[in-house]
Amino acid sequence: MFGTLLDLQWKQTRRSPAYQKSLVVKIILGFFIIYFALIFIALGFFSHKILAEVYPDQSPVVSFNSFLLFYFLIDLVSRFMLQDLPVLAIQPFLHLPVKRNKLVHFVLLRSIPSVFNLLMLLVFVPFMLRAVVPAHGIGIALVWLASLLLLTFINNFILIYFKRQLTSNPKITLLLALVVGGLMLLDYWQVLSLRQVSLVAFGALLQQPWLILVPLLGLVGVYLLNYRFLMQHLYPEEIFIKRVATVEGSDMAFLNRFGDTGKLIALELKLIWRHKRPKSMVMISAFLLFYGLIFYTNKVYLEGWGMLIFVGIFVTGAPMFNYGQFVPAWQSAHYDALLTRPITTYQYVRAKYLMFVPSILLVTVLTLPYALFGTKVLLINLASCVFNIGVNSIVVLYFAALNKERLDLSNGSAFNWQGVGASKFVMMLPMVLTPIAIFLPFSLMDIPQWGIFALALTGAVGILFHRQLLGMMAKRLEDRKYTLAAGFRQH
Amino acid sequence: MNMMIEVRDLVKAYSDATVVNIPALHVAPGETIGLVGNNGAGKTTLFRMLLDLVRPTDGVVTSKGIPVAHTDAWKYYTGSHLDEGFLIDYLTPEEYFKFIGDLHGLSTGDVLERLQPFTDLFNGEILQQRKYIRDFSKGNQKKVGIAAAALSHPELLILDEPFANLDPSSQIRLKNLLRSLHEQHGMTMLISSHDLSHVIEVCKRIVILEKGKIVQDMQTTEDTLQALEAYFTV
Repeated sequence: MFGTLLDLQWKQTRRSPAYQKSLVVKIILGFFIIYFALIFIALGFFSHKILAEVYPDQSPVVSFNSFLLFYFLIDLVSRFMLQDLPVLAIQPFLHLPVKRNKLVHFVLLRSIPSVFNLLMLLVFVPFMLRAVVPAHGIGIALVWLASLLLLTFINNFILIYFKRQLTSNPKITLLLALVVGGLMLLDYWQVLSLRQVSLVAFGALLQQPWLILVPLLGLVGVYLLNYRFLMQHLYPEEIFIKRVATVEGSDMAFLNRFGDTGKLIALELKLIWRHKRPKSMVMISAFLLFYGLIFYTNKVYLEGWGMLIFVGIFVTGAPMFNYGQFVPAWQSAHYDALLTRPITTYQYVRAKYLMFVPSILLVTVLTLPYALFGTKVLLINLASCVFNIGVNSIVVLYFAALNKERLDLSNGSAFNWQGVGASKFVMMLPMVLTPIAIFLPFSLMDIPQWGIFALALTGAVGILFHRQLLGMMAKRLEDRKYTLAAGFRQH
Repeated sequence: MNMMIEVRDLVKAYSDATVVNIPALHVAPGETIGLVGNNGAGKTTLFRMLLDLVRPTDGVVTSKGIPVAHTDAWKYYTGSHLDEGFLIDYLTPEEYFKFIGDLHGLSTGDVLERLQPFTDLFNGEILQQRKYIRDFSKGNQKKVGIAAAALSHPELLILDEPFANLDPSSQIRLKNLLRSLHEQHGMTMLISSHDLSHVIEVCKRIVILEKGKIVQDMQTTEDTLQALEAYFTV
């Protein structure tokens, strides 16, 4: 029976529209996956050296252990934000002669092979091989690794249990994040050192391997908790069906000032607020604000220009790129409605533009503190802001006309490749390469400041002619509207 | 006088099949036309071409003498509901009606007043439910769509199978509603339906479509129902 269920699950994945992508997309995705996998493996491979440098007075294994409890707490918080409940495709079996407990076990075990559970193995395994095995021998090392895996699974099942009860309550997530942040502060002030606890706990495990029974029992406990809950609630309306959401959000009357375009914007803001996918995309965009820290803290990048321009473009444009890549597919479910109502394509395009601009301005203001890393960073970010408003917003709209895949808004956006086509990757190229290309000649002439100025100037020209440019983009969207509408109608 | 809808040599062909092929179809202002035909006859595709949602392989559709393709003028006097794709389903019905009303320059009071005749049809299940349209049943979604299509009192109303998914009482209420909308506002109507008796009661002219072609075009008389039943009996 389990085999049959697995086989069906596999077919479901294979035959889902998200999986049937063009070869190009598969290759690009494969490339990204390998790239990130290599980063993680490298991290695992070299972390004992890094740890030995940062904490010279204790062994890397001890340092590593001391961070583990925090790691699992952070893992739990990020799961609350990013991980979705596993898709419960067992509804079609409920009326068939299949034992209920089998179905429940299937649902639960099905949640284990996921990115969230297995990603960290890429770090843990190399670290184990390089540091734990030499120090404690292969047997103990394997026990150590197994207990880390067990803890990961415990997190997995805790998340599933809570999400199933509360759906996704942002307040709980926030509370959890605050608790973890608080614990970190306490640790920093040395009031209550969780790192010490972690160090002792995992140290004990290395000395007395039978302690692995503790996480094992914990896992059995949460598993049974989930199992009992599901067994008692195996009715479609209790666990499968989305709960009917209560209505939230208001009229956003201030947008009425902008006439019909304002109404379109209000409509779209409601779309973002009332669907899971765009909402989680906004959250991810907020995280991307910190992207700059990776580069600004590194002297090599801070002395050059090129990388900073890339970061500036990326950081100030993140929400626009994230959201804009799926314009107009966000509205794929009711695109026909927009086409048959008295809304001109120009108004439609303008509404998008008027959403992009404030988002860029807002992010630019939020990233002003990066000026602490030098006025150069500030100037580059301001120039990038102008360039994003003037040029990249138009590029986004240009590529929008290629989005003819219907978008499913009901799932979160982390690791969600539904509706991602090759054009998404292609569109990143002009947006990042053009600014570098504008900057390059000035850099070669050794007047990089002028290059930044040229960047801003190009953006300003784009802003000056935004009506004409938007008109052209509207024309383009209009020309392709039958293709788009036909694509959106396909489920 | 300009025709409300004029179809000339309209063809829609996909790689292997011609789904619509109509040399000529004229709809005069104030006419009510019922479109009947079995599944796959091309009713919905024809409607989509009338609404400029599908690019015809050949031929033109004009509305009041202006081709509908890539123009907006017709959108101001045409109301339509074909399927759920016409609903903005993450809004509440009130928000949706307000949005449509705004597009046509109607005040909130106007919208409420124009929804008044729909009270019976709505049966207390549509307004003030604090629910998004996506959470309504298929039948109630259809009611929302029809009301939104008729909200602006359009000169031309296009509905695809408005009676499907509705309970018997709602079907009868909708029938009366459509008739009174036609009488009061002289709306031109294009309605497709599988329910022969309903469509005859609402429409004064019946067009039978089969495999993309118009096979009969007749004025409704006492004998029409019999004729239709005879036609569709296999």
